[in-house]
Amino acid sequence: MNAKGLFQRIRESKVYYSLIGLIALLIISSVAAPNFLSLNNFITIFRQASILLILSAGLTAVLVTGNMDLSVGATAGLIGCIVAQLIKTGMNVAVATLIGLMIGALVGVCNGLLAGILPGFVATYATNWVMTGLGIVVMHGQVIYDLPPSFTQLGVGYIGPIPNLVIFATIVVVIIYILMSMTTFGRHLYQYGANPLAARYAAVSVRTVMLSAYILCGICAGFAGMLMTARLNAADAAMGSAYGMQTVAAAVVGGTSLAGGEGGILGTVIGALILTIIVNVMNLLGIPSYAQGLVVGAVIIGMVLFDINSRIRREKKLDA
Amino acid sequence: MGKTILTAKHITKLFPGMKALDDVDFDLQEGEVHILVGENGAGKSTLSKCILGAYQAEEGEIIYQGEPVKFSGTKDALARGIAAVYQENSLVPYLNAAQNIFLNREYRTAAGLLDSKRMEKEAKDLLVSLNCDYINIKKPVKMLSTAEQQMVEIAKALSFKPKIIVFDEPTSSLSDREVESLFEQIHRMKAEGIGIIYVSHRMQEFPLIGDRITVLRDGRKIRTVGINDCTNEELVNMMVGRDVSQVYVRSENPYKEEALRVDNLYDRSGRVQGVSMVVHKGEIVGLAGLVGAGRTETAETIFGIRPMASGEIYVYGKKVQPKNPKQAAKIGIGLVSEDRKTQGLALRQSIAENIEAVSWEKDFPGFFVSGRKVEERALKYKDNLRIMTTSVRKACQYLSGGNQQKVVLGKWLNYDPDILIFDEPTRGIDVGAKMEIYALMDKLATEGKAIIMISSELPEIIGMTDCMYVMHEGRISGKLDRSEYSQERIGQLMMIGQEGE
Repeated sequence: MNAKGLFQRIRESKVYYSLIGLIALLIISSVAAPNFLSLNNFITIFRQASILLILSAGLTAVLVTGNMDLSVGATAGLIGCIVAQLIKTGMNVAVATLIGLMIGALVGVCNGLLAGILPGFVATYATNWVMTGLGIVVMHGQVIYDLPPSFTQLGVGYIGPIPNLVIFATIVVVIIYILMSMTTFGRHLYQYGANPLAARYAAVSVRTVMLSAYILCGICAGFAGMLMTARLNAADAAMGSAYGMQTVAAAVVGGTSLAGGEGGILGTVIGALILTIIVNVMNLLGIPSYAQGLVVGAVIIGMVLFDINSRIRREKKLDA
Repeated sequence: MGKTILTAKHITKLFPGMKALDDVDFDLQEGEVHILVGENGAGKSTLSKCILGAYQAEEGEIIYQGEPVKFSGTKDALARGIAAVYQENSLVPYLNAAQNIFLNREYRTAAGLLDSKRMEKEAKDLLVSLNCDYINIKKPVKMLSTAEQQMVEIAKALSFKPKIIVFDEPTSSLSDREVESLFEQIHRMKAEGIGIIYVSHRMQEFPLIGDRITVLRDGRKIRTVGINDCTNEELVNMMVGRDVSQVYVRSENPYKEEALRVDNLYDRSGRVQGVSMVVHKGEIVGLAGLVGAGRTETAETIFGIRPMASGEIYVYGKKVQPKNPKQAAKIGIGLVSEDRKTQGLALRQSIAENIEAVSWEKDFPGFFVSGRKVEERALKYKDNLRIMTTSVRKACQYLSGGNQQKVVLGKWLNYDPDILIFDEPTRGIDVGAKMEIYALMDKLATEGKAIIMISSELPEIIGMTDCMYVMHEGRISGKLDRSEYSQERIGQLMMIGQEGE
């Protein structure tokens, strides 16, 4: 493929506008903060983005079906705590990790079943509280630290110059990318999200589709929770809560529509990177943390507006 | 006939890349019903939208009540007495009929609160004058039937006391009784001197209400004729621009085998009450009846989307019990559903994705999807079905009704079930596309599919089917073989559930 063909393909791709946003942010950042453009800083950015990436990758599958999962942060926190407790009792790390993933899947089943009878937004807002509460119960209101290195290594170790976290995030993103855009399962996710009724008339087993999206999301949350604990070398019931809305923001900034049927994992990767870079560059510039929220909020509004407007303009062009 | 109320001269409306209207003249007189016909994309809606102020023409002028006008929008036109009743209704689903009719211009009491009593009374009066007093004005309109919603829409238009009303396909979702009362109202409006622009595909209605007909094709005006100066055949020829002597095609059926047998079928909601029918291989069997007679419900019960209460279904002699559409499809039953926009298509998805909609797992049993194969398949159906589009990657929302319907058909052809149920397959699409769909149905039957055709248009169901079951209030009121067909017999079975003496 020649350069022009490649450019054409990028232009037509759905992540085009989020990509423009990311590039603009990169340019502004490197001008504003001279120490931004360095290999070390980029590795830091990717490492900081890893857990957000894993969580929002799973969430994207749910959003594409037109549903919502507000519980990913709390689920991650809960599973991080459970796994820490299991390991503290002397359980083999591999077994504990596996149990963590299975609990994630189980949470997905609960969310999926509830979202079948209630609006997903409400159902998972409720399970969000349930998970947070369970986390406190599991921890007896305390914090655990000093976990064995065989476990913490997952979160703090490196392979060569690359942090393990980045490798895990890459693997998760690639798997979910393949699932969502190259398999019949993925096609059903989009089909269901674009029009649930038509999917039913098209002989798609819609309950299975929705349930599997939530299960995938739950497993990702479980995995992210364990990595969180390993990275911190500690478990605390509240550690996931900060991620709750941030995951939604990452997906939406990346162009995934809350109405379902549109968006994808590439956009979410871009969205998660944008959110992480903003914070990174503000730290480099020494902007106080109390002012950072203001900027993050403004960027989210700006990005989504830009994305929506550009899409509308492109659709009008197609319509003619 | 009265004096001219509206004249449109040399109207040209440009859309990016095309001329939607090209130098069109049109005029409307007081107390006249002027019918606009043409294929989809011919410019009927564009012309009526220019008159309604929804579009501003690039060239030409509109003279209304003797003065040239330029409406800034539909509100402006409405305030000057030009109202519209659209095919797809614009009611707010959660508000009731009275609230919808007075939306944005609610009566208030002295205290500034909503005067519901007065609005409900006036709404009631309007509906009574439309012979629709059976409509409950306190129910949210989403709980009313499509036909009832349409009547509310008409009541709303009339409440503006308009001088011109534009009707865009008003009867496509109405039952015969409702069509009749609508026509009564149109005659009454005519007598009051209201000018009516009537956009429709239903040629059998024209002589009942029309005064003049204007035929549009490809954005140009072909001719304006008096209602009695032109045969249906000439009209169709003008619309499609070629000779169409044969609209319906139905070949000999070479097969004898029984494909589908339904015995004493009941659904759980009581809409289907003991339906029995037999469809042979290679046969097109009609399912006629009024709107609400239970035809769609019967189809949906067979297709597994509506829970079955009792009864038996046999497919090629084997007893089956589809509990959901997925099982029905596996057994070999496909349903081309009635409402293509909500049930048939995911409008935001591409043509290619919609054509695969039923078949992802069948076409890609190895779990992994090949984008190239999806596109190849879509291109095949684009050619075979003559879907007019620049690309199969285009979202279905940008296609005309006829082309959308072809995509729905392509979706099921791609899955290739033995038994196909077509529910109103030609609703709201133009003559040219209709004929292509008839030819396709005939071809499918000849290839050995068993077909059930549900339709509210008697000429097409008579023209296309080998035999026919007529439904009345959830039951089969009679079965007629092709040799026994007559409008009267079918009409009696539909209307009163039995044949007269």
